Amino acid sequence: MWVATQIALVITADRRPDAAFGFRMFSESSTVKIALYREVTLDDEAKREGKPSRVHVDDGVWTARDASGTSHRHAWTERVRRQALATFDTEINAKYAVNGQLARLQAALDDVAAHVPDDVETKRFLLDVTVRKNGREPYVVHLASREAGGS
Amino acid sequence: MLSWLQRFKDEIGDGYVLGPVRVAIGALLGWHALTAAEELEQLGYFGDVFHVPMVPEALVPSHSLYAVLLALRVVLAVMVMFGVWARPALGMSAVLGLWLLLCDRLQFHHNRYSLFCYAFLLAFTPCDRSWRATESPVPEPRTGPFWAVRLAQVQISIVYLASGGSKLLDPDWRSGLVLADRISRHAHLAVAAGVPRKLVDLLAEPDAASALAKLAIMSELVICAALWIKPTRVVALWWGVWFHIAIQLTTKVETFTLLTLAMYGVYATPDYHARTLRFDPSRFWGKTAGAFVPIFDWLGRFEVKPWEPDDQPGHSVVVVRRDGERVTGVRAFAMIARSLPILFPFWAPLALVASFTRQGDLSSAS
Repeated sequence: MWVATQIALVITADRRPDAAFGFRMFSESSTVKIALYREVTLDDEAKREGKPSRVHVDDGVWTARDASGTSHRHAWTERVRRQALATFDTEINAKYAVNGQLARLQAALDDVAAHVPDDVETKRFLLDVTVRKNGREPYVVHLASREAGGS
Repeated sequence: MLSWLQRFKDEIGDGYVLGPVRVAIGALLGWHALTAAEELEQLGYFGDVFHVPMVPEALVPSHSLYAVLLALRVVLAVMVMFGVWARPALGMSAVLGLWLLLCDRLQFHHNRYSLFCYAFLLAFTPCDRSWRATESPVPEPRTGPFWAVRLAQVQISIVYLASGGSKLLDPDWRSGLVLADRISRHAHLAVAAGVPRKLVDLLAEPDAASALAKLAIMSELVICAALWIKPTRVVALWWGVWFHIAIQLTTKVETFTLLTLAMYGVYATPDYHARTLRFDPSRFWGKTAGAFVPIFDWLGRFEVKPWEPDDQPGHSVVVVRRDGERVTGVRAFAMIARSLPILFPFWAPLALVASFTRQGDLSSAS
């Protein structure tokens, strides 16, 4: 039974994005560079001024107003503490391969979007992930959170 | 097949060799528990922030319960190390560790999962009969059922097969692309650590990386099988030791190297003091062997006894092997290296040298 379970977990490892329980050691030598953006609601004045609705978030920190108009400082790391998911605009190793990293980033995006009740400006959070798989030419994967709406 | 299964189920073995394995696993369990406690202090409780549970959220422990569980894991690890209710402590450590891994996928690492698997299997072995701080009030036999030892061996092979097999099926790994990129990206670290720049550049070359990748894949797959064949087992273990040392020196793998090397102990034949080492206390090499071997004979391979000193020229060290054959000189040294974990990395070259000489003890040959 033990052996059958282990073999089943190994064989089905591909079905899990991080290949958990599959003993896939050092499966890739990939890197990711993560850029965080907010898709914001623009008022008429901002639209007239031609302000973009997609705003880059420097170092994972941004300021946004709540429903009463009071500004609050927010940080990605208030929710996402792991360095592998909270290092922005710097090329880092893709822990547990590209698929695993992207799956975790998507989950992190959704989690942050669900936990910013004091931010009524941000409609969605976006990540542009520049992936370099095993030293090949880089490509960009766009990830978007669910609608931001507080917890 | 049925008789094989029956033998597997009924096998009884001497548990002495499992004592040091248990101590090493206990140390690793403790190290991981302390690392988790350090993370709790630095990053805060994982359940309060973004985490990815593999079990229903209701099964994720609260902050205070998590802190208690970490403390319990440390205590259990100490019990495992000192042999105090070691087997229940191993089982509980494994279950707690697996549960907490399932509570947060972000904390999942293959080496941690492997550790809990091995700890769980070791809990069903007679690993608590040696290397313990206190003796049981009721004398226990050192022997016990060995089926879980065989399962642990199977588990080690599964790890090699899964790791090597997935690399074999991956064209990027097979062609050396993964290794070439890894080497070139970490070249500066290797050079800073003293590895010659030319060597690093050479290894990052496509042809060299391709050859290295094939060697790595072959190593994992060959070790997986060779561990099950008696004549090749010791060679597979020796190759595996250097394979893992090389990985440890070039990659961050947490405690994976130590874990695998510790688990190699389950391949030691369970025959306590089946070899005899006789040494001449009046000679330097004899005295050295007489002091060194008992300290580092962690697996209980040798019964160490001095010769009665006499005036006759003789050997500093004589090893009486399991089969009764007496060996001296380089052959004795090779035998000692084969049996002591700390000298085992040097066993193969010594055995090679020993295979060319039948002169006996080097010190007396002159």
